[in-house]
Amino acid sequence: MSTPRIIDAHLHLDPNSKFYTPEPQLKHLLKLMDRLSIRHAVCTDHLSMYEGAGEGLRNLKSVYEESGGRVYYLGVYHPGRAAACMKTIEEAVLWPGFAGLKIHPSFHGISADAPVYDPVWKFASEHDLAILTHSWSVSDYNPAQTLSTPGKFERYIDKYRNVRLVLAHAGGRGNGRHEVIRLINQYENVYTDIAGDIFCYRLIESLTGSISPDKILFGSDFPWLDPRANLARVMLTDMDNSSREKILRENALKVYKIGK
Amino acid sequence: MCEQRARKLSDDYRERAVQLNIFDCSIWLGSPEGFPLAREMLFKKLEKEMSDFFITGGLISHWLGKTLSAQAGNRDLEEKAGMFPENMYGIWTGLPFYPSPSGPGPVPGKGRPHRSMRGVRIFPASHNYVPEEWVIGTLCEWLIRYNLPLFIWHTEINWPSLHRLAVCYPSLTIIVETQTKKILYHARMLFTLMRECSNILVETSNFSGQGYIEYVVKEFGAERLIFGSFMPVNDPLVPTGMIIDADIEEKDKLLIASGSIKRIIEEVHL
Ligand SMILES: [Zn+2]
Repeated sequence: MSTPRIIDAHLHLDPNSKFYTPEPQLKHLLKLMDRLSIRHAVCTDHLSMYEGAGEGLRNLKSVYEESGGRVYYLGVYHPGRAAACMKTIEEAVLWPGFAGLKIHPSFHGISADAPVYDPVWKFASEHDLAILTHSWSVSDYNPAQTLSTPGKFERYIDKYRNVRLVLAHAGGRGNGRHEVIRLINQYENVYTDIAGDIFCYRLIESLTGSISPDKILFGSDFPWLDPRANLARVMLTDMDNSSREKILRENALKVYKIGK
Repeated sequence: MCEQRARKLSDDYRERAVQLNIFDCSIWLGSPEGFPLAREMLFKKLEKEMSDFFITGGLISHWLGKTLSAQAGNRDLEEKAGMFPENMYGIWTGLPFYPSPSGPGPVPGKGRPHRSMRGVRIFPASHNYVPEEWVIGTLCEWLIRYNLPLFIWHTEINWPSLHRLAVCYPSLTIIVETQTKKILYHARMLFTLMRECSNILVETSNFSGQGYIEYVVKEFGAERLIFGSFMPVNDPLVPTGMIIDADIEEKDKLLIASGSIKRIIEEVHL
């Protein structure tokens, strides 16, 4: 096997008791990354999702060190704890391994177009950072997903044209995908990743057929899901190998400015 | 990773996918329900779609069996059975045997199962009955008589009922399907049920929790996993990838991809 250089641009670490995972910790992740030729990863921790950037972010700094610089990390901006988050993020921007910001309007219960997100966009703009956000389709069994439908991000995408926004999960399993495609084709600063269980039939070829391969990032959502589920889709879907290389590595380097 | 490396990796995956000789227990005709972006799979395109995903045979189901009526889905399978590609069979939709349903389908006293039938799926939640022994006992006994496996989505039954059913009919092979919502959140019940009841097997289309394949192979054996794609709703490359890269022996990969289900359907008495 050649030198492992794939980048998993969307994962998490450690157990979450909502579900059972046999091996969710860093040592397991590194073993799996080695097995799958994944060189680097971009991680958000579960604790930060609940509390915003703080203790969790400091833990991730150690994860970066323990992983020998392989697992980069994002600072979570929790709009309900805006001031405290921004204080930690302002410190963290200088830490080695810090790769950008993460928001999750559905989880935090505040719509993506709310004014309370302006500070994090402004910060990203001033520091040349990427923002990874959860994005999904309107869901009949999870009403909070309407807070993260891709169109809701447009006011900030338009206002902060130098901020690279990654709409995670390709907009989910419904019409969010069409919105993701529209935004990516309309704005240079918008990207998507394929993390999560968006296991829709022929999804990868539908994406590569509608948007530039420069805009798609491979991601797994470990430990919620196994990286093997999405990796084979990129490996086995018909596309030219330069596109494959972009999706598996080059785009993540460009968006998160990591792994050099 | 230069372009050449990407090509080498991709070629290697392709070769390993072909070697699996996949037999898929979850191929669906008709219009999918509840998945806004999914399109109908046309029968005439079936073989091409399968070959695009390295699938060499499988079990066909019909959405109408869930959405409209068991009979409508079964009728469509019955009409197409003569045109099934080689190595393809049907999973028919079942109903409780009392009050007696009309055919076609598994119907008591109407002779042997149809020659294309290699399994029966029930939809208790959608079809408004409880999957308990006093309601579906005679159907279960009929399945056991012909050695036909019972397929069921985990969203169509609750875990206490499934446990009771598996305990009550230990010689009935029950294949728990991981659709149509995440099985991930139910993994604790699923794994405990698999430990308690050796007649519980799992279909793999949405069995993509971290390390789940290795876990089941180690705890219960590879013969408890049955490859399913849930095409054309789900991407068959997802369960394929979970097997290709699994840290298990090659013989176990082959069991999951095709060996276990082939043995089950070979033992169906028609
Ligand atoms: Zn995630």
